Amino acid sequence: MTEMLRLEGLVKRFDDLEVLKGIDLTVQKGETIVLLGASGSGKSTLLRCVNFMEVPSGGRVHLMGEPVGRDGRGAAISYSERDLVPIRARVGMVFQHFNLFPHMTVLQNVMEGPRTVLGLPRSECEARARKYLDKVGLGWKADAWPSHLSGGQQQRVAIARALAMEPEIMLFDEATSALDPELVGEVLDTIKELADEGMTLLIVTHELGFAYTVADRVLFLSAGRILEEGRPEEVLLAPREEQTQSFLRGHGRFRLPETPAQEQA
Amino acid sequence: MGYDWDFAVVLRDFDLLLLGLLNTLKVTGLALLFGVPLGLVLALCRLYGNALIRWPVGLVIEFLRTTPPIAQLFWFFFALPILAGVEINPFEAAVLTFSLQSSAFFAEVFRGGIQSIERGQWEAAKAIGMTRNRALRRVILPQAVKRMIPAFLERAIELMKTTTLVGTISYADLLFRANQIAQSTYRALEVFTIAAAIYFVVIFACSLGVRLLETRMARSGESTAR
Repeated sequence: MTEMLRLEGLVKRFDDLEVLKGIDLTVQKGETIVLLGASGSGKSTLLRCVNFMEVPSGGRVHLMGEPVGRDGRGAAISYSERDLVPIRARVGMVFQHFNLFPHMTVLQNVMEGPRTVLGLPRSECEARARKYLDKVGLGWKADAWPSHLSGGQQQRVAIARALAMEPEIMLFDEATSALDPELVGEVLDTIKELADEGMTLLIVTHELGFAYTVADRVLFLSAGRILEEGRPEEVLLAPREEQTQSFLRGHGRFRLPETPAQEQA
Repeated sequence: MGYDWDFAVVLRDFDLLLLGLLNTLKVTGLALLFGVPLGLVLALCRLYGNALIRWPVGLVIEFLRTTPPIAQLFWFFFALPILAGVEINPFEAAVLTFSLQSSAFFAEVFRGGIQSIERGQWEAAKAIGMTRNRALRRVILPQAVKRMIPAFLERAIELMKTTTLVGTISYADLLFRANQIAQSTYRALEVFTIAAAIYFVVIFACSLGVRLLETRMARSGESTAR
């Protein structure tokens, strides 16, 4: 087993607000981790600390076995932008609002990273971009503008854009929360395919059924701490903690019956 | 009763007006050529510079925006030669003044354009490993510039009209020529009507051109955000 990510006592503060209060987590290569929790529990912040969209206030992040940041004076770790930029290139991220570049075609969106960040030759970038667009089933939309795509298609392009960097870990930050319900499935299918292929994934989602299907481990966050952690059937079907139980009850309040109710005569 | 219009007298000097127009376009064009890039630099300093850069730059921008252009023109034409000991002709003074003055306005247009781009665009660029500079160049500015086009055009029109002040330091622009012709022909109404018509034609043609460009970009689907 290869360790891809290790968080040690990760703390994140925004001014006086402590959002993460000491997170310890180790993720092995090929694992799929789903983070659950109420809004404000810190799950998105945790994700954003992994690729240093947010710089941690305390604790340590190890990526691919290497500690990130330099030891500064005392306990502080200093992070320089110069060190963080190559790390972000190795950790892919998909956002709730897709954030495609609207002034570029679909193909250009996917080529942009390999071309300008990795500096690969144009022909190689295009081949790579087409490969990942095909992978998310949108090779035929290569020359379209993002604004002409449905939300689900845009999100799949965003996934292709992240994959084109050939990252070692992929982060999904509520990737389906902004989508119309009928478009959620196609994006989840794409993510599941990545999980099945052995990509290392950290996923923040509210889709419990998806979490159950795809996760190797589910973490339940509450008030900046990991409250409960385990295999999906443990955390989702037999949660130990009262907070986890009430969170799951809240999500499952209105559910369709498995079989249609008998019609009254 | 009715005024007896006589354009013939004036049209005899039409080539003089055209020469004046040429000078107007020269000053306007050069002021844009220098003012726009300088405006971008000022905007970036104001947005991303450290405090030591941000404050002085902000002060300069505000100073250039809030003082009357004619005072600036006089200052560069009369005061600068005395203070710096350099000879400066009316043309140079005009280009210098309007480049600096318009750069302050363009700086604010750039700043507004850059700030109007959603945070998500920065984040997406950052997430694929772009540095701030690269994100700015590849992702933010191309979108910002597109959004800035109307404000940009507005400033350029304003600039062209403001350059009429150069007559006060005897630079022979369109309005200066019109004034000359008016004095020699006593046909002020006709001359200034024609001069106004020339400004209208030139500026209106430019606006139409820019609007055409905008609709073409919109049709390609490119300019629609998200």
